[in-house]
Amino acid sequence: MLDLRGLTIGTDAAMLVGDLSLSLPMTGITALIGPSGCGKSSVLKWSAGILPKDLDGEGQLMLDGQAIARPCPAISYQPQSDALFPWLTVAQNAALGLQVRGLSRAEALNRVAPLFSSFGLKGTEGQFPDQLSGGMRQRAAFLRTVVQDSRYVLLDEPFSALDAVTRLRMQDWLIARLAERPRGVLLVTHDLHEATRLADVILVMAGPPGRIVAEIPVPHPPTQRSEAALAPLRDELKSLLLENAP
Amino acid sequence: MLPRILPPLLLAACLLVGWESYCRLADVAPLILPAPSGVLQALVLNRADIGAHALSTIAVAALGFSLSVGFAFLVSVMLHFLPWAEKGLMPLFVASQTVPLVALAPLMILWFGFGLLPKVLLVILVTFFPMLLSLLSGYRQTPTDFTDLLASMGAGRFSVFRRAVLPSARPSFFAGLRISATYAIVATIFAEYAGARRGLGIYILAAKNNFRADLVLAAVVVSAGLTLALLGAIRLLDRLTARGPKARHA
Repeated sequence: MLDLRGLTIGTDAAMLVGDLSLSLPMTGITALIGPSGCGKSSVLKWSAGILPKDLDGEGQLMLDGQAIARPCPAISYQPQSDALFPWLTVAQNAALGLQVRGLSRAEALNRVAPLFSSFGLKGTEGQFPDQLSGGMRQRAAFLRTVVQDSRYVLLDEPFSALDAVTRLRMQDWLIARLAERPRGVLLVTHDLHEATRLADVILVMAGPPGRIVAEIPVPHPPTQRSEAALAPLRDELKSLLLENAP
Repeated sequence: MLPRILPPLLLAACLLVGWESYCRLADVAPLILPAPSGVLQALVLNRADIGAHALSTIAVAALGFSLSVGFAFLVSVMLHFLPWAEKGLMPLFVASQTVPLVALAPLMILWFGFGLLPKVLLVILVTFFPMLLSLLSGYRQTPTDFTDLLASMGAGRFSVFRRAVLPSARPSFFAGLRISATYAIVATIFAEYAGARRGLGIYILAAKNNFRADLVLAAVVVSAGLTLALLGAIRLLDRLTARGPKARHA
């Protein structure tokens, strides 16, 4: 279990996130939704150890009850853009995290090579990111995140730049990949459809200062959810967001 | 490639034809304005002499430019890691660009003689600043997502610099290289003009003193050719070292 306790983020002038706590189970997706500016991405960035210098963050990150320093190898982070380096091939991009963590280039490339097929990226190893479609780029970015063997993954609106059809396909694809390699995922999203399709638990944030106003479990596993069953849940989430709108 | 160079070639041809026609039709004295054919003839007849002087100019420009690029890179890395040093040093670098070369070049000759040193120093003085600014600007253009991603993986500052900041600065680096290269040849000729034993600058001065406008223009043609060759070499280097389809076709 990954626990975030008493997180406060802000500047001297204003508080962005106020005394926020949340828990991330070892498997499954926890979605963090809320209006723009309520501090969702800042919570993710603080947890990944990359809070911008102009913000101060205080709180505790606990892994299985033990306080940990940030950044932590047990946690991987994927920013809002796919952040694929255009001067590296897809394989080199996928192996980047392993190299940063000390593997030689050859070892890292050997480690990622067998995964290209199951990630739907076979044949793209030697290509450059500019040669891939938006969906393929997200797959490569997710491969780079997952291959680091971190127990927890932080995803900051990973599909927000994709068109509607590609987004739906990538959501299904993400569910399938997480079924193969279970991880605890914290997903920041604006999209209620995405949150209700993917998440096991939805945390609703309000603010600023950001705080969690509701924790709503989503019924049924993601693969067995029907649109009809999710509609009332979305209505409930909409009401919660409107009630707590700044 | 051909469509790209066709418009400037056509324009240059038109200008040369216009210039040649004017000189012939208006019967302009070659001492005042030689026709392009006269300049070409002077260049061919004096090719050995001009070539020897051009080689000296190339050597000075290449040495000064290489040292300048290396020095600018080292300083840019230092300023990237020590922002407080940038605050202290940048005003001095800016001030160095306000010193008129016409005043400084003779002083350099006075202090360091007619050898290589004053000319190389002048080339460095002229080309260092645009190179430094281009590198620093390139470093600042690194997408935050790239540096954030590496930091979240546990990369240290030097690792982030090597893996993300330096490659992100590549387009700016080559832009700076092109700007500085054009200055390098001009600065070398100016330094030679102020005082030298060999080089296109001193050749131009001697030709001017002998009222040989055709030789002055022949040397100018060679200097322009050298600059274009240097720019071509930089373009080739850019293409050969580019990674990724967009970078190659940029």
